[in-house]
Amino acid sequence: TVPCVRLLNATHQIGCQSSISGDTGVIHVLESEADLEWPLSKGPNPPYMVLLESSLFTKSIMMKMKNASSRVAGVVVVQKTSPPEFSPHTTCPNENTGVYTETYDHNLAHCNTTVWNPRGNGLSYEEFDSPVFSLKEDNETEVIKQCYFDHNRVVNGSGLQYPLCAMQLFSHMHAVTDTATCMRRSSMDFSTSPVMVCDPLGGYNVCAFIRPYNSTAFGHKENESVVIAAARLDSRAFFLEDSTGAEGSVSGFVTLLAAAQALREATQEAPPTRNILFAFFHGEVFDYIGSSRMVYDMKNNMFVIDLDNVHSILEIGQVKTLRSGTNLFLHSDPVSRRNNTVTNLVKNLQSSTAGLNFSLVETDFSQPLPPSSFQRLLRARAIPGIVLADHQTDINNRYYESFYDNAAHLNLTYPSNLSPEEQLEFVTDTAKSLTEVATAVARALFKQAGGNNSQVNKINADPKTVTQMLYGFLVRSNNSWFQAVMAPELKDILHTLTSIKKVLGSSLRCVFCLSEPNPPQYYVGVAKSSHQANALTYLVQYLLANLTGTATNLTQSQCKKPDELPNESTYLYSYLWVQGVVPPNSTQRESFCVRTAVRLVKAVSPAFDLGDYISKEYSTWTKSQWKFIKARIFLVASRDLEMLTLGVGVAVLFTSLLVTYFVRTKADVLFSSVREPNNAAY
Amino acid sequence: MNLERLPNEEKLTLCRKYYLGKLQMYVCVWGFAFLPFLWLVNVVWFFKEAFVKPTYTEQLQIKTYVKRSGLGLLLWVAVLTTWITIFQHFRAEWGEVGDYLSFTIPLGIP
Repeated sequence: TVPCVRLLNATHQIGCQSSISGDTGVIHVLESEADLEWPLSKGPNPPYMVLLESSLFTKSIMMKMKNASSRVAGVVVVQKTSPPEFSPHTTCPNENTGVYTETYDHNLAHCNTTVWNPRGNGLSYEEFDSPVFSLKEDNETEVIKQCYFDHNRVVNGSGLQYPLCAMQLFSHMHAVTDTATCMRRSSMDFSTSPVMVCDPLGGYNVCAFIRPYNSTAFGHKENESVVIAAARLDSRAFFLEDSTGAEGSVSGFVTLLAAAQALREATQEAPPTRNILFAFFHGEVFDYIGSSRMVYDMKNNMFVIDLDNVHSILEIGQVKTLRSGTNLFLHSDPVSRRNNTVTNLVKNLQSSTAGLNFSLVETDFSQPLPPSSFQRLLRARAIPGIVLADHQTDINNRYYESFYDNAAHLNLTYPSNLSPEEQLEFVTDTAKSLTEVATAVARALFKQAGGNNSQVNKINADPKTVTQMLYGFLVRSNNSWFQAVMAPELKDILHTLTSIKKVLGSSLRCVFCLSEPNPPQYYVGVAKSSHQANALTYLVQYLLANLTGTATNLTQSQCKKPDELPNESTYLYSYLWVQGVVPPNSTQRESFCVRTAVRLVKAVSPAFDLGDYISKEYSTWTKSQWKFIKARIFLVASRDLEMLTLGVGVAVLFTSLLVTYFVRTKADVLFSSVREPNNAAY
Repeated sequence: MNLERLPNEEKLTLCRKYYLGKLQMYVCVWGFAFLPFLWLVNVVWFFKEAFVKPTYTEQLQIKTYVKRSGLGLLLWVAVLTTWITIFQHFRAEWGEVGDYLSFTIPLGIP
C-alpha cells in the first residue's frame, strides 16, 4: 500500500490526513462516475470507503468526495489501466520560485504567455482530510473486492444486510498548518523524548567536473570558465512513493550520462579550454531545491566555483522518443537574450546534429523558459543558456508528474521471449533515438567548451549504455550491470526498492510486467542527517563514476586511504570501491577501485539553513512524520446491534448494583437465618 | 479521620487549618497553590458540622470558615473555567504564543 502523505510549505499544507484512530468506512467499489451517488447521497450506511480504479481517479470525482467528507471516510485507488492523459501537477509548475517574477518581467510571470502544463488538474496540491491509499492489483486487492461482492452488494436496490465489509485506514500525520509551525513544534517539545513533527525535503546533487578542482578550495577560481551541463533527477506523483518520471526526468539525465561518457575520451586526449560541469540536480520538482542550493553555495563561496566562473549552461529537459524527422527544441530566456547572446551556443548545438536523424529548432524568441533548473541560475545572474526539450510550446508529456509516466509511456518494449539479462542488452528504438540526442549534446558541449573542432566527429554516445540505463532505471534496477557498477555495501538498495510500477497498459509485448519490476524511487525524499542519499542518487553517482572515471589497480585498503600513495589525491578525486562483473567461469566478482571526479553535494533548501521558514525566495517544503500507516478490512455490525449490546451491558451493571445494595441493607435478615439453629440449639 | 470522634475545639482547629491552608508550617507556601482543593475539602467535609448538626460553641466560627472557603472555591472555579475555555478555543489561532503556552501540543491538528 502506498499512502498519500502530508507535505507542507511556507503557506499551505497539501496531501491527506486520517484521524488518529483510523478512519473506518463500509467498502464501496465505484463502477462509474454516476455510481458516486451511492456513497455521496443514496447509500444508507455512511461513512463509505470508496474503492476506485485508476481510470476513475480524476479531479472531479476526488473533489466531489472531498466536499462530502462526512459520508466518505477515505479513498483507495487500485492501479489498473491508464487514462488517456492525466497530470496531477499544477498548470504552472514552480511559478513562484523560477525566474519569472513580477519584477523580472510582468508579462511572463505566472505563466501569462505560455501555460506549461495545460492538462494539470492540481490534484497533487489539494488538501484532503480523509486518507487516500493506492493499491496494486494483486491478491490482496482481490480479497477486498471479494469481501465487497459477498457482503456489500446491493440486490435489487433493497437494503443491505448487516454485517457489512468495512475497511479502516490509518495514516495520521503529525504536522499541520505550515512549515514554520511544524519546525517550531519539532524544536520546542519539553518532554524527554521530543517528537519530530516534520522533516525538510532534500537530498544530494551529483556533480562532476571533467577537470576537477581542489574540493576544499571554495570560491572564485581565477581564469577558469565553466560550461554547466544540467539535468534533473527527481519527479513526483500524487502518491509520492509511486513516482516514476520516465519522460519527465529519466530521459533527461540518461541522455546527460551518455553524453558524459561520450566526452570522456575526447576530453582526455585533447582537453578543451573551458571546464565542463555535469550537474544532476535533485529536488527540482519541489521549488528547485537542488539548483537553488547550488546557486546559494556559489554566491556564498561554499562551492568550488562561483557564478563569475560560469560561462554558459545547457540543460537537458524532457526528451522523448523521436520518430524520424521530428525535432527537438531549444528554449531560451527572452529577457536575458536582449543583453547576452546565446547565438554561439545555439550555433554549436545546431551544427552538432549534422549526420544525425533530427534537428534542433529554436523556439519563438518571446516565449519564456519552461520550468527548469536554469531558471534558478538566471535568477542570480544573467548567464546565457539553453534548455533542450521535446516540446515547442507547452509540455507534450500527457502524464507529467504522475505515476503513469513510466516505461510504457516511453515506448520501451522488448520482444516477449527475452530473459531479463537479454532485455538488458537489447537496444530499443527509444534508446537509439536518445543516443543520437546524447551524441549531439556531447558534441555541442565540446565545441562550447572550446574543444578542437577536428575531434568533434569522434564523439559518439554508446547505444548499449543508453539502453542498459533505460532498462535499469525504468524496468528493473536489480540487473547485472547495475550490480557491477555499485559498491558492495550498497548492493542491497537495488533489491529493497519500494516503488511500484505496475501499469500494464495495452502493451502486449512487455515481459517485464510478469516478473517483479522494481525501478528506484524518483521522489526526492527527506534530507537525512546522516550522510545517506537515496537509491537514485547513489545509482547516478556510481554510474557517472563508471562512465567518466578511470579504473585503477589499487587494493581495497588502498582505495579507502589513497592519500598515502604518491599519485593519488582525495582533494581532486574520490575513490570508490565497486563490485565489478562476475567473470563467466567463476563466482567471485572482480572488484576494483574507481578514481573519479564525481562528488555528492548536499541539496537542502537554504531556507532551512537560514531558519527562514516563510521564505518566498527558496523552497520550504517539508514532509510530515507519522507513527504507522496501515490498512485493514473486517466485518462491521449494524449500529443498532452495537447500541443494543451496550444497553444490555449497562442494564446488567445497574441490576447488579441494585442487587448488591439490596442484599447489603437486608443482610441481617438474609444471613441471620443461618445463626438461628445455633441459638435454638442452646 | 472520622470527625465524629473529635472534640469540638479540634474540629475548629482543623477547619481553620484547611481554610488558611496551613496544614504544616513548612508547606504553607504550597498551601496557597492547592487552596482551591483545600477549600473544596473544607466545604465538603465540614458541611454537615457547620449547617446540619445542632449548635455548639465553635460552630459559628466553623460556619464562617466554611462559607469563606465556599466563596473562594467558587471564585477559583469561575476563573479557571474562563481561562480554560478561552485557551482551548483560541490556542490554534494564537499560533506561536499558543504553542509557547502549551506543555504538550497535540499532533496532527492545529
